[in-house]
Amino acid sequence: MRTIIQALSLLLFSLLFIFATYKLPNWLPADIYLRIDPLLGLNAIFASREIIPRVLWSLILIGATLFIGRFFCAYVCPTGASIDFLDFLFFRKKKRPGLKNEAGFQKIKTGLLIVFLTAGLLGLSLAFFLDPLALLTRFYTFFLYPLTITLINLFLDLLRPLSRAFGWVALSYLHYFQPVFYMSAITLLIFGGIVALNLFAKRFWCRYLCPLGAFLSFISPLGLFKRKVSPECNECLKCQKACPMGAIEQDPTKTRFPECIQCRTCVKVCSQEAVTFPASLSFSLGGEYSSTNFSRRGFLYSVAGGMTFGFLAMRTPFTPLQSKHQLVRPPGAIPETEFLRTCIRCGECMKSCLTNTLQPCLWESGFSGLWTPKMDLRLAPCDQNCNVCGKVCPTQAIRSVSLEEKNHAKVGTAVLLKEMCLVWAQDKICLICDEICPYNAIVFRPVEGYRRPVVIASKCNGCGFCEKKCPVLGESAIVVVPDGEIRLKEGSYVKEAQKLQLEFKANPGDDKFILEESGFKIESGKKEEKKSQPQTPKGFM
Amino acid sequence: MDSHQRITRRRFLKTAAAGVALGVVGSPALMHAKEEYDLVVISGEPAAATKKALETLGGISRFVKKGHRVVLKPNMSFARTPEFGATTHPMVVAAVAQECIRAGARRVLILDHTLHRAELCLERTGIREACKNISGVHVQAFQDRKFFKEIKIPQGKVLDRVEVIQEALESDLLINIPVAKSHSATGVSLGIKGLMGLIWDRESFHSRFNINQALSDLATVIKPQLTIIDATRALASGGPGGPGDVKKTNLIIAGTDPVAVDSYGVTIVPWYGQTFKGRQVEHLLIAHQRGLGKIDIEQLKIFKGSA
Repeated sequence: MRTIIQALSLLLFSLLFIFATYKLPNWLPADIYLRIDPLLGLNAIFASREIIPRVLWSLILIGATLFIGRFFCAYVCPTGASIDFLDFLFFRKKKRPGLKNEAGFQKIKTGLLIVFLTAGLLGLSLAFFLDPLALLTRFYTFFLYPLTITLINLFLDLLRPLSRAFGWVALSYLHYFQPVFYMSAITLLIFGGIVALNLFAKRFWCRYLCPLGAFLSFISPLGLFKRKVSPECNECLKCQKACPMGAIEQDPTKTRFPECIQCRTCVKVCSQEAVTFPASLSFSLGGEYSSTNFSRRGFLYSVAGGMTFGFLAMRTPFTPLQSKHQLVRPPGAIPETEFLRTCIRCGECMKSCLTNTLQPCLWESGFSGLWTPKMDLRLAPCDQNCNVCGKVCPTQAIRSVSLEEKNHAKVGTAVLLKEMCLVWAQDKICLICDEICPYNAIVFRPVEGYRRPVVIASKCNGCGFCEKKCPVLGESAIVVVPDGEIRLKEGSYVKEAQKLQLEFKANPGDDKFILEESGFKIESGKKEEKKSQPQTPKGFM
Repeated sequence: MDSHQRITRRRFLKTAAAGVALGVVGSPALMHAKEEYDLVVISGEPAAATKKALETLGGISRFVKKGHRVVLKPNMSFARTPEFGATTHPMVVAAVAQECIRAGARRVLILDHTLHRAELCLERTGIREACKNISGVHVQAFQDRKFFKEIKIPQGKVLDRVEVIQEALESDLLINIPVAKSHSATGVSLGIKGLMGLIWDRESFHSRFNINQALSDLATVIKPQLTIIDATRALASGGPGGPGDVKKTNLIIAGTDPVAVDSYGVTIVPWYGQTFKGRQVEHLLIAHQRGLGKIDIEQLKIFKGSA
């Protein structure tokens, strides 16, 4: 029963993950798992010092936990389900030594929780690092998703001779776009490490490390269902050994309620049928609740740890240099400082990105920018028919806005590097940047007897098609720099663009080869020499 | 061997005469006088004009035989809706596909190597939607190198080899259905420029080679049996991607000579505000000089009609 619910939850998580593409309908919250995560929510609210409407969804989980208890970890959490599944796959038959100081280790997660929340209060988003839902979404995005596509394409390749022979045309040419990401390896290492820890104890992660579990355990002893052992108990300690959370004490009639996730493994293994989980409204606020006996010393150490992290991460040159380095953020990203505080690094935006341009940062903006999304426009452009990154952002570090608005959320400006441009430097016939530009922001103007590309900054919203498609090898001869980006916390990008006199819709027919444009008159002497070559558009004679 | 199996002179002459007679009578050229036209230009609504153009050329069955595998190469390189004039009108493509199937084609594959993300192109251009209910017709964008095959260009001046979509090489019939548009490197983008959508390394045409020379090299190895220019609207500036000045021209231009068809296409609107002839388009002129087709439309027999 529990396994089925877990499997269904993991399936739902995976399906929502798959649905997170540019086609995502507005009514479907693909990021729902991340939204209901109160730890991510608190972290974002603390760090940004603001109430984020989407985060209020986490009240659902808080309410349910208050009412029922810490059921989330056993039934809903997709990370827990993955760990259980992989444990079954790899370590089923392993003899595990177990840890001696169970209760001591269990406090680690509480300590981590305090570290993260303290760091959050100091304005450093850190909870993402070990939050199970952010962690799993990252693992899915950076590892599982590209791997799955590779496997599917491999399968299709193997099937191809057969599809051709049978004339299944659609299948013969089916090929999925292969997404690629920086930091896939690191993400795999972290997740793999977490699974490997199961060698020591079942659900090692959930027992000792998970800060979300720690948060839920704070409020769980109030819940409706509680483990109860009847006098039939013969103290065989089977339940004590089987409990995946180490929630049963040496005296098996006693339960560490904050640790109990109501998985009912103890009910299953009991030969005396002595264990039950009756619904009881008797809120025993006294004894069990205080059993989260986190010492004052531990608390202070954790707070100090959080503050140290906060200090080390924020007091670096990266902070004054925020938005002064060459980082192009996704369209709709709120101002850089707030963005770094609010982003929970789940990777959902990068997964759903239509073109694969969104990539995780490593150290580009320091520790506080780890895994934040940036645009790698040499790799891929930003498509004007897609606004999914904002739609799936659970904390709205990237705002969810309409296509029209999103296309006005300028991310930067293209700059032509004339020494590298084939036309400027070598007089070659190249027009790819102009050809591909969706906004007619690149025009050809006659300079020195030759038509050369020029960027009109007020028409460029930084989508990067030019940078991506520039045929120059190595660095592109036209690059998008963050200069001119529009980062708004609220309000309309369209209006802001109007205010700044930007226009991201090309006028029909403005790509004429204008000779009389001010400042571009060609000297008459030169004109004769060159036989007025610029007067006919390129390609004509 | 029996003696009567030997071919006597008399017998040879008789047979030959009969053959010639049969040929003369049965010649489609005499049966459908229409076929003598070098070019067919029809004005009208996209689907109707396309059908009329095919009919005037002698019917699609002149090209499509029963069981043929046909490849149609429209321009669906940009994720733009038809009114931008950057991609071939979906109704034109669908009409050609429909006719091919009606003439007995085993299957029709509509393909392109798109510049924008493939699924968006297929969606936005409306071509997938327009063809989805015609059985035997498949719309496909080829975005992976494994679907391309390298061929040599024996007569290549700048290009000596090129990777081409394998399916286009192996089909029984290739029909090119470009859209009429301006192009900031080649002047106009019509049939011959449209062939670039069949190759893998499009960028090299801009960076490494003289694009006009490379295009005519390409035209020596990829020879569509039929070119149908969708000039129902013409993107007179801002090409090839648009947005730009879209002129409502309501024309379909069809013919078997790729240079002639393009050459006519050059004359239908002023490009970038100037009137040009085929000879003034560098890549067309080179193609003509290399014997790939006629360029002076004054010397062509052109059927003009409307649907």
